[in-house]
Amino acid sequence: MPSNGSSSGAAVWAILRKECRSEWRTRYGLNAALLFAVTTLTGVSFAMGRLTDRTDMLAALLWVVLLFATLASLSHAFVREVEGHTLTMLRLVASPTAIALGKLLFNIVFLAVIEIVTVPLFLTLMGAPPPRWGAFLGLLGLGSLALACASTLVGAVISQTRGRGALFAGVSIPLLLPVLAAAVSGMRSQWAGGPIAAEARLLAAYSVALLAASLLLYDHLWED
Amino acid sequence: MSAALATAAGGAPLALEARDLGHRYGRRTGLEPLSFALDTPGVTAITGANGSGKSTLMRILAGLLRPTRGAVSLTVGGRSVTAAERRRWVGYASPELAFYDELSAEENLVFAAEARGLEGPAAAAAAALARVGLGARAGDGVAALSSGMRQRLRIAFALLHRPPVLLLDEPGSHLDDEGRTTLAALVGQERERGMVLIATNDEKEWGLAEQRIELRGRGLGHPA
Repeated sequence: MPSNGSSSGAAVWAILRKECRSEWRTRYGLNAALLFAVTTLTGVSFAMGRLTDRTDMLAALLWVVLLFATLASLSHAFVREVEGHTLTMLRLVASPTAIALGKLLFNIVFLAVIEIVTVPLFLTLMGAPPPRWGAFLGLLGLGSLALACASTLVGAVISQTRGRGALFAGVSIPLLLPVLAAAVSGMRSQWAGGPIAAEARLLAAYSVALLAASLLLYDHLWED
Repeated sequence: MSAALATAAGGAPLALEARDLGHRYGRRTGLEPLSFALDTPGVTAITGANGSGKSTLMRILAGLLRPTRGAVSLTVGGRSVTAAERRRWVGYASPELAFYDELSAEENLVFAAEARGLEGPAAAAAAALARVGLGARAGDGVAALSSGMRQRLRIAFALLHRPPVLLLDEPGSHLDDEGRTTLAALVGQERERGMVLIATNDEKEWGLAEQRIELRGRGLGHPA
């Protein structure tokens, strides 16, 4: 009997769980991201020492490390399906929108896991001054959401193209620059004791805009 | 319309029709235009030379490929099912169908059942694996399965949600004699519930069908 109630919610949840299980078993992105974050922070720490009074540099360094540690894995969420020839199976069991939302949720979880390890290490090794925790975590969450939305959208668009690597850089730079600029500016401001509302609003609005654009696009992405 | 088919389609009559259906891959012809209508339970073989468009036709019928010419309509209870919804009514197995190597056969099917929103996904997966004789290897990773076992898994995937329309592309490939006997029995059971379409050039598989659609394309994707 066909499943007429093949609800998108069930599909999104199933895809999220499948992604987590696959990542846990293969460590495809997790090990690489953690290795990059730890070696970068250790290297910078050895070279520059503690940057307690350079909060502008701390803000930039935090987001650059997070961006480069996670970007390759985030964008590969769809590429893995294409290269493993499993996209046909996915398309048969879930709508493109459900697939993309499942991937987006996995990317958010992935970013959170990397941040749980990386951020305490960053604060310790760099000698960062105590952050205003509410502002710090709020910016971290909104910046991560925007980063995940942008990289998921780009990953979905480039997954079936040739020359994905070059295309990814070309498409993702204009989408990621506003995220990086707002996140760095907001983080610098929270360490300086200034307001962060403008940056937080920008990151939230940008995430909503990317998500809305994605929901409009996803259903048309994989039509041959 | 038989009572069996009416039951399979949720008590509603079901019809599959192709009107002037054709497809081109750029300059190459993938499927020469053809029309047919199937509205009774039974098994139909789709035959033709290599490159005549058998797999292309199956992908179009499954809703995976948008035809460049003509249209397909699947009607359930007088209501046309869109290409996006067709996956709920259609079971599809083809050589291109791949599964997640890091998951077991059972985990792959449980994931598919969850994504489809089926009730009792574990039971549905176990039942489908048992039907193709793969119950004893349910816990094995897909990477450890032989090509014949993977083919059985593809057929189990197609049967998972008990669809009233079953599309089998080269279903006997890699199967041993026992596997072919199992396949013949499954096709016999499914023809009582709905439609089975088999794309094949294997005479033994033709023998399972009551009617045949022969694709008369010039083969090998001619550029005309």
